[in-house]
Amino acid sequence: MTRDDRSNDGSSNDGSSSDDPPRETVSIPNEVELPRLLDFYDLQDAEHTGIHEFYGNLRDGELTTTRCDDCGAVHFPPRIVCPECLSDDLSYTSLPHEGTLHSFTEVRGTAAIGMTDDTPFVAGVVDLGDVRLSARIDDASYEDLEIGDPVRLKIVDIDGPTDQDRVFYRFVPV
Amino acid sequence: MWDDLPLATMRDVYVIGAGQSPFGSFPDETYLSLFETAYENALESVGGELDPDRIDEAFLGTLGVGGRQIGLSSPAVTEHLGLHGVPTTRVENACAASGYSFRSALTAVRAGTADVALAGGYEVMTDTSADQTKWWLGVSGETEWERTSGTTFAGVYAQMASAYLDAYDATVDDLSRVAVKNHGNGAKNPKAHLGFECSLEDARSAPGVADPLNLYHCCPTTDGASAALLASEEVAAEFDGPAVKVAGAGAASGRVGLFQRESLTSIPASVQAGEQAYAEAGVTPDDLDFAEVHDCFAIAELLAYDDLGFCERGEAGRLLREGVVDPDGELPTNTSGGLKSKGHPIGATGTGQVVEAFSQLRGEAHVQVDDPTYGLTHNVGGSGGGVTVHVFERTEVDA
Ligand SMILES: [Zn+2]
Repeated sequence: MTRDDRSNDGSSNDGSSSDDPPRETVSIPNEVELPRLLDFYDLQDAEHTGIHEFYGNLRDGELTTTRCDDCGAVHFPPRIVCPECLSDDLSYTSLPHEGTLHSFTEVRGTAAIGMTDDTPFVAGVVDLGDVRLSARIDDASYEDLEIGDPVRLKIVDIDGPTDQDRVFYRFVPV
Repeated sequence: MWDDLPLATMRDVYVIGAGQSPFGSFPDETYLSLFETAYENALESVGGELDPDRIDEAFLGTLGVGGRQIGLSSPAVTEHLGLHGVPTTRVENACAASGYSFRSALTAVRAGTADVALAGGYEVMTDTSADQTKWWLGVSGETEWERTSGTTFAGVYAQMASAYLDAYDATVDDLSRVAVKNHGNGAKNPKAHLGFECSLEDARSAPGVADPLNLYHCCPTTDGASAALLASEEVAAEFDGPAVKVAGAGAASGRVGLFQRESLTSIPASVQAGEQAYAEAGVTPDDLDFAEVHDCFAIAELLAYDDLGFCERGEAGRLLREGVVDPDGELPTNTSGGLKSKGHPIGATGTGQVVEAFSQLRGEAHVQVDDPTYGLTHNVGGSGGGVTVHVFERTEVDA
């Protein structure tokens, strides 16, 4: 039997000829579970992150970050070791809830995976004085914003994909 | 620091060959077959026969988009080329992967651990879904505190564009002029991904991606590979044709996240890498006859003009409006078509720029500059987390 006259109906799998290699259909899954990194947000409890206090404070309505007790540096993101002097004597300090827009864009076509259903939305860099951070700017559009505009903190509760009560920061125009 | 390095003890290094595969969308190619094409073209460009057995080491850049052979991808490539036993390393620095693989090969030949080194890069990007591509590019930005704002690189560079247009005399039309110029060049490059011309009106009226950037202000995702052969002066002297010397090299890292930077209107790693490369080469930007700069988004090309000293800070728009960077201008930039038109196969982009510099200095470019002596390549990883700058010089080899 040549390759060309081999039957395609599975009859070659009936063991009728000892020359035929055995055949079988195998299945692969239609979907593969993707890595947890696709979840934007940290697991925010003490078991999973050394900066759980940051999230606890945010859950209580306060935006905070770490300050180094040795060199005085204020960090963002919050740290467990000071990147300036390597001290681990850090304390949480309050950040202002109002800042200014350092720059911004309105994302239309290329949102990060996980936020594609939200387009269009505004994202920007917010200047809080000692630190700057990247954030979603809600209730805003590109045309209505200017660099330097005041914005204030908004806290969002994260629904899914874990059963933890998670929170994150966004900003809105003042 | 780099300015304390004992340059005098380093050997001179030459690019004796450079080649690329076509850049584009190739469902019937793999990263292996694309790199094989680039490698063969590099070997063919050598002025004489280079026995592949003389390649002492290989450095290959790739981000590994799609998650194919991420582990040991470099040995998989060198094995495919028949370079059995050659030590090889995958170099990963996102979009600057092969700027850094070139730097690694340069360092090996400078140091004398290799007499001939292969540098290159490859990427296959068009066989993954749009969401997968976003994921792979998204995780090259700052993943923990920037990605939570929902941006990918378009959104990140868009914020740099907003800041630049606010701070300086530059307009959205200047961003569009990058597309017009680079497509004009890429239309003459048979290996370009998007080898068509576009008018200022086309570029103005494209759909928005991340304000103020529209589709024509963004490079495509591309399949492709590129390769360069570096050699010591002694080896280079064996071959015919104009010698292309690596006159200066610079590299720097920078803050990965935009929010951690002092300024959004400059990429500090570009400034530092540029200063180092100019100092090593003993040249100033005025000495350059052409440049290939990293134009993943139109604003990136404007930032490059400022950061590399092509103009006073904030004057990048003027260079475009006055045609200084056009093929017939004082400093033709991205004569290959740049990332915008030639395409941006992430890991292949850095050595792809070297291919254009090599062609220009040998007088074989598709958009040829008149009798160039010095050219520069500038490769940026992400939004500025890693940068390489190389200055090339056409010269004579002393055997
Ligand atoms: Zn400290």
